[in-house]
Amino acid sequence: MVTLKAQEIVVRLQARTLLHGASFTARRGESIAIIGPNGAGKSTLLKSLAGLLRPASGSAMYDGTSIASMTAASRASVIGYVPQHFNPHWDIRVADLMQISLERSRALVQREMLDTALRTHDIGPLRDRWWSTLSGGERNRVLLAMVLATEPPVLLADEPAANLDPRCKLEMVERLSAYGRTALSIVVMHDIDLAFRYFDRILLLNDGRVVADGATAAVYDAPILEDVFGVRFIRTEHGNVRTIHPGNVVSK
Amino acid sequence: MVRYWGTLALLLICAVLFGACAGHTWVTPADVLSAAMGDTSMQAMLLREWRLPRVVAALLVGALLGLGGAIFQGVFRNPLAEPYLLGSAGGAALGATIALLVPLSLSQSFALPLFAFLGAWGATLLVIGVARTAGALDVPTLLLSGVAISAVLGALRSFLMLALSDETVSLQVVLSWVLGGMQTPTWGGVGILAALTLVSLFACIALAPGLDRLGLGETMATAYGMDVHRFVMLAVLVAAATVAISVSVGGLVGFVGLAAPHIARWHLGPLHRVVIPASAAIGAILVTVADAIARSALPPAEIPLGLVTAVAGGPFFLLLLARSRKW
Repeated sequence: MVTLKAQEIVVRLQARTLLHGASFTARRGESIAIIGPNGAGKSTLLKSLAGLLRPASGSAMYDGTSIASMTAASRASVIGYVPQHFNPHWDIRVADLMQISLERSRALVQREMLDTALRTHDIGPLRDRWWSTLSGGERNRVLLAMVLATEPPVLLADEPAANLDPRCKLEMVERLSAYGRTALSIVVMHDIDLAFRYFDRILLLNDGRVVADGATAAVYDAPILEDVFGVRFIRTEHGNVRTIHPGNVVSK
Repeated sequence: MVRYWGTLALLLICAVLFGACAGHTWVTPADVLSAAMGDTSMQAMLLREWRLPRVVAALLVGALLGLGGAIFQGVFRNPLAEPYLLGSAGGAALGATIALLVPLSLSQSFALPLFAFLGAWGATLLVIGVARTAGALDVPTLLLSGVAISAVLGALRSFLMLALSDETVSLQVVLSWVLGGMQTPTWGGVGILAALTLVSLFACIALAPGLDRLGLGETMATAYGMDVHRFVMLAVLVAAATVAISVSVGGLVGFVGLAAPHIARWHLGPLHRVVIPASAAIGAILVTVADAIARSALPPAEIPLGLVTAVAGGPFFLLLLARSRKW
């Protein structure tokens, strides 16, 4: 059983409240996109689920255990977290990044394990490349491979595809949502259209609250999207592909 | 990789041989060998009792500085980090000044290393304590606390030097120690130093996987299951002890702890499990050669070791910097 449960999570930063009691439950086999305007608390929610932020009240629970009370090592073994920005401090080879990533679950990493991990995540050809020589798309693929190297049951990703070209972006979003077929994948998405096309479930955040939570098809038509984002969306259907794009700004 | 380790080992042997031959009277490698075999001639005895322990001590001090530098650069993820960053230089200098200028009932050969060690170690503990009360044990707080404490310790030392020096105690003694006062230990002292260096080496290598994780950034390191603050604290304590040991025998030897980890990284990449031992070897080579120059360049006087490492090391490092494509 893999269940991730957010119970009334409140996060404060000095005097500002970033999350006002966010709650939802997610299970294995789900791919969930978190969407919402800037400052809605998407990244904050993701970080408190990952145990990187301690909620002022409420809790994130993994299979009935509070994530805040878990040891750092056991938390890291169940939750894979993909940060929004990643840049190693020293220029480093891809193989070494994977080595370090594999070591978080086992002290000794054999050569075969490393080879398997590189192959599984399609980054075999990048093996001996230095980080500084990788393109944006390659960097994101390596980052995802690093996080997924230990096959964590939960993947939490913070818009890792934000500034990629269309092909890399589609490939990345496809990989992220596909992980939710066998595990649980929760991704903060800025591209609303891709969020609706690739994920099973949408979590809409506004002002630190979950204002809509449901199957993608149900949220797709909901007028609350217009209210929250303050834009009118253009929804079109081509065969069985439904797209949604911002049209014009709605005066509030 | 194997070739690189072979080269380092060869260079280290050459450096030791060069150090053993160099001095105000130069000897041949054959003389060194016969002295090491237990020859009883005057020259061999002098070599054995004075020069060889000094050469080995220089090697060990260099290794310790290489280790300290690698850990500090890894913890602070800053290419400019060096072993004396968190007040250990100021603390060691203050301790040495007290040992050299204040009349104590201890013998100076015992008081000097002891006080230098206590000064270096105590200053770093003070920096950590101040950073902790100031709010957080994060990197900027630690660095700023280090700068502040170093300034205070430096001022205290200057005051002591002004207040305590008279015709009988020369300020030159203090100054030459601060500029890198390598001591010549007994073989017993060398044995203790070697044992401590070995312990430091293993402690530093044990920190390597954590430093590699930290190199991914604090967020990733935390997400990878690391208690970043606790680790930083542990690593700083280990590095400070390492540096304090080196200071107690070698005085303040600038530059080596900064340069050695960089030279290692240029050739071996950034993984600390290889950078740390390589940095120790490179530091050992650099200080052994620099100490040989310090003893032999201006006979019969001795140039302070820290001056040699800075004057010879600076341009050498710049040359390497210009030639290296990777950093």
